[in-house]
Amino acid sequence: MGILGKLFYFKGNGDFKRSRKYEQELNKCIRCGYCYELCPLFKSFYWESDTPRGKLLLIYGMITGEIKPTQKIVDKIFQCFYCKNCSDNCSAGVPITDILTDARADLIEQGFDVEGTIAKIDEDLCSICHICESICKYEALEVKKDKEGKEKMTVDKIECRGCGLCMAACPTGAISQKEGCEITLPELHNKVKEIIKEDKKKLIVFACNWSVFPGMQLSESPSLVKTPYGIIVSMCSGRVAPELVLDAIEEGAWGVMVAGCPPEECDHDGNYKTRRRLVLLKNVIKELGIDPKRIRLEWFSTGESAKLSKAIDDYVKELDKIGPIKKIEKRKIGG
Amino acid sequence: MKIDIEKLKKIVGKENVSDDIADLYVYASDASVHHAMPTAIVRPQTIEQVQKIMRYANSSKTPIIARGAGSGTSGHTVPIDGGIILDMKKMNRILDIRPEDMLVKVEPGVVDDDLNRALKPMGLFYPPAPASSRIATIGGEIAANASGVRSVKYGATRDYVYGMKVVLANGDLVNLGSNTRVHSSGYQLERLIVGSEGTLGIVVEATMGIRPIPKFRCLAVANFDKLEDAGNAISDIISSGCEPSMLELMDKIGIVAVNKAMNLGLKEVGAIILFEADGNVKEAVDFEIEKMKKICKKYNGKDIKKSYDLAERTKLFSGRKKLFASLSRYKEGIICTDLADDMGVPNSKIAEAAEKIHEIAERNNVIMAVYGHCGSGVIHTKIMLDSKKKSQWEDAEKVIDELYDYIHSVGGVTSAEHGIGLSKAPPWKKARSDIIPVMRKVKRALDPNNILNPHKIMDAPDNWVQATNLRYKVG
Ligand SMILES: Cc1cc2nc3c(=O)[nH]c(=O)nc-3n(C[C@H](O)[C@H](O)[C@H](O)COP(=O)(O)OP(=O)(O)OC[C@H]3O[C@@H](n4cnc5c(N)ncnc54)[C@H](O)[C@@H]3O)c2cc1C
Repeated sequence: MGILGKLFYFKGNGDFKRSRKYEQELNKCIRCGYCYELCPLFKSFYWESDTPRGKLLLIYGMITGEIKPTQKIVDKIFQCFYCKNCSDNCSAGVPITDILTDARADLIEQGFDVEGTIAKIDEDLCSICHICESICKYEALEVKKDKEGKEKMTVDKIECRGCGLCMAACPTGAISQKEGCEITLPELHNKVKEIIKEDKKKLIVFACNWSVFPGMQLSESPSLVKTPYGIIVSMCSGRVAPELVLDAIEEGAWGVMVAGCPPEECDHDGNYKTRRRLVLLKNVIKELGIDPKRIRLEWFSTGESAKLSKAIDDYVKELDKIGPIKKIEKRKIGG
Repeated sequence: MKIDIEKLKKIVGKENVSDDIADLYVYASDASVHHAMPTAIVRPQTIEQVQKIMRYANSSKTPIIARGAGSGTSGHTVPIDGGIILDMKKMNRILDIRPEDMLVKVEPGVVDDDLNRALKPMGLFYPPAPASSRIATIGGEIAANASGVRSVKYGATRDYVYGMKVVLANGDLVNLGSNTRVHSSGYQLERLIVGSEGTLGIVVEATMGIRPIPKFRCLAVANFDKLEDAGNAISDIISSGCEPSMLELMDKIGIVAVNKAMNLGLKEVGAIILFEADGNVKEAVDFEIEKMKKICKKYNGKDIKKSYDLAERTKLFSGRKKLFASLSRYKEGIICTDLADDMGVPNSKIAEAAEKIHEIAERNNVIMAVYGHCGSGVIHTKIMLDSKKKSQWEDAEKVIDELYDYIHSVGGVTSAEHGIGLSKAPPWKKARSDIIPVMRKVKRALDPNNILNPHKIMDAPDNWVQATNLRYKVG
C-alpha cells in the first residue's frame, strides 16, 4: 500500500452531528494522558478506556467512522462525574467534558440505552415525592407520563452529572448508581466498615472529589503514610447520606468529618444540603447521648489541601482528648 | 490472530482481560502519530502471572507488548501485528524505601510522581523525572531510559538502576544487577534492559537509587532577542564548568504557544532560558546562579529574574512544563504531532542546531518549535502541521529525512530520551547500520521467537508513515 493509501484508511461517518464539530479539537489532543492523573473513574477501574484520553479516542473513532458505537463503548462514554480535573490538566485546552456531553446526546439520539454513572430509579420503590427533582441543580430529574399515562420519575441521561445528591436525599432508597466506583450506599457502608474494623482508624473523613481530593492526592502518598484517619472520596459532600455518618459511629469511629467546598463554590449546590443535614444529625446524636463534637463539617477550596491536613490533625488531637465513644454514650443507633 | 482468552482469564482473572473493541481501540495508540489495534489486553498483578502469560505467549508465538502509561512518543507500545498488550499499571506497589541505603524497590507500574510523593516526607527524591512524571511509570521510564529537567546535574534513568527482576520471553525470572549501589560482578545486564523498549524482557521489579532533596533551589529566567544567543549561552554555561540543576530552552514559537494556551503573558522574545542551581549551602547556590547570569548577559540575556520561593519557581516554570501540549494552540488550523521529537546534539552545537531546525521547517512548510533540556544536549522539536492535508505529511517526511541527516552529521543522536519505537526507526537505522546486527543477535538470544514488542527499533519498518495507520483523519 502506498503512503496515501495508508493515510485514507478511515471509513464513512456515523450520525454524530453534534460531536463531529470537535474533530479538529480532538486532533489537538496530543494524547499525553495527563488528563487521567486525577480521574476518579480511572482510579476505580484502571482501564485506559475509562480515562478521559480513552473516551476522546473512542469518540474520535466514532465520529470518523472508524469504529461503530457498541453498548460497551457507549457505557464508557456515560461514565464520568464531570469533576473536570481532566480539562483543568489539559494544556492543549481540549474541552473534554463538552465533547463528552455532545457525544452523549448523539448516542442517546441513536437510540442507545445506558447505565453509565448516572442515577437509576427503581420504579417499585419510587413514591414520586419530588424531593430529588427539587434537589437536582441540573434539572435532570423530571416526572413524565409513560405510554399508559402512568407518572414516573425519569432521569435525563445527558444532563445527569452522577453527583449522587438525589441518592442521598431519596427517602425510599429508590435511586442508585453503578457499582464499582465506591459511590453506592452498600459500597460506602463497606468502605466505612473496612476503615474502622480492618484498618483500625479513629476518624473517617468524607472528602469531596471536587475541591479537596485533587490537592490531597498531589500532596502526599496516602497509601504509604500511616494515619489515624481514613479518607472516603465522595462525589460531593451532599452525597454523604446521614446513615453513612451514623454507620461510622456505630462501627466504632471516634469522629466523622465531612469536608466539602465552601458555600458558593459547590458545583452541585450540595454543600448547603450537607450543612443543614449535619446540624440535624448533631441534634439526633445528642439525643442519643453522644457528644455532637463527634461530627464535624469543614469547608475547603481547591488547593487548600494543607489547610485540610491541619484541620484533620487538629480534630484527631481533639478526639484523642475525648477518647472513643463510651458504651453509655453509644446506644444502638437506628433500632 | 487467535488468542486463547479463556486461558489468559484463568491466569489473571476475567476482570483483567479484555478483547472488547472499546479497549482494543484505546490501547491501539500512545502519544505518537501511530494507531494499530492489539488482539487482547491483559493486566497482571503478580510476577507469577507475568511468567505464566509469557510462557503462553512464547509457546503460541503471540506478540506481547508491555505498556505503562502509554505516554511514549514514538509508537513504542503500538502493536503492528496485534498481540497482547501487557498493561503493567496494576503492579504499582512501592515495595521498600531504604533511606539508610539510599535505595527504593518498586513494582514497574509505580507512577514517578507517586514515588516522589512517598519520598518527599523523608527528605528524599528520585531525580530523573521526565516532564510526563505525573503519569509515566518506572517500568516505562527504564525501558525508554527517560530523563528530565534535572538530568543535566543528576543524570538519566540509567544512572539510578541498580537491580531488577525481569521475566524473560520464555517465562524465566532473572535477578539482574545488585542490591547495592555498586557492582562489578559480571555483565551489567540490568543496563541492557534500560532503553530496550520492552523488546528484551518484562521488568517486574526495580531497585533504584534515590537522593536527598537539597536545602536550597534557585530558579532564574533570562530573555534573549535571538535564539542563537540563547543557544550559545547554554553551551557556554556547560563548557565553563557551571553546575546547573536545570538548564532549559524555549524558543519564540513555544513562548507564543504557552501564552495562547495558558494566558501566561510571557514576553514574546526570540528565546527564554531557565536555569536552576541547588545545594545545601545558600552561598554556593548563589554563586552558581550569579556565574550563569553573567554568561547570559555576555550573550545579551536580559530581564533576568530569580527566585528561591517554591510558588514563584513553579510559576516561572509553568510555561516550560506544559509546553508540549500547548503547541497545539500555536495557530488555528495546525496541530502538534509527535514527530522528530528529541534529538541529542553535542554541547557545542546547540545554537547551530536550533537555528537549522527552524530553517528546515520553514523551507518545508511546517512549523517546528525548539525547546528542551538543552543543558544536557537534548533538543525537543515537534512538527506542527495541518493534519488534514496529505501534502503536509509528505512535508513532514522530507523534514525528518533532512533534519536527522543534519543531526547525525554533527555527531548527534536520533533520540536523547524518548526512544526509537516506530517513528524514529527509519533515520536511526540509516545512521546506525553498524550496530543493528549486534542488536539483533542480542534480541534473538533472549527472545528467539521474537514475541517481545516485535517490529520496533532495529526491526521497525523503513517508512514511519506506512508502519501503521495514522491516528489522524487525513483529507
Ligand atoms: C507530554 C509528554 C512529555 C514527556 N516528557 C518527557 C521527558 O521530559 N523526558 C523523557 O525522557 N520522556 C518524556 N516523555 C516520553 C515518555 O513519557 C517517557 O518515555 C516515559 O518513560 C514513558 O513511560 P510510560 O509509563 O508511559 O511507558 P509506555 O509509553 O507505556 O512504554 C514505553 C516503553 O516502555 C516499555 N515498557 C513499559 N513498561 C515496561 C515494563 N514493565 N517492562 C519492560 N518494558 C516496559 C514499553 O513496551 C515501551 O516500549 C514525554 C511524553 C509526553 C507525552
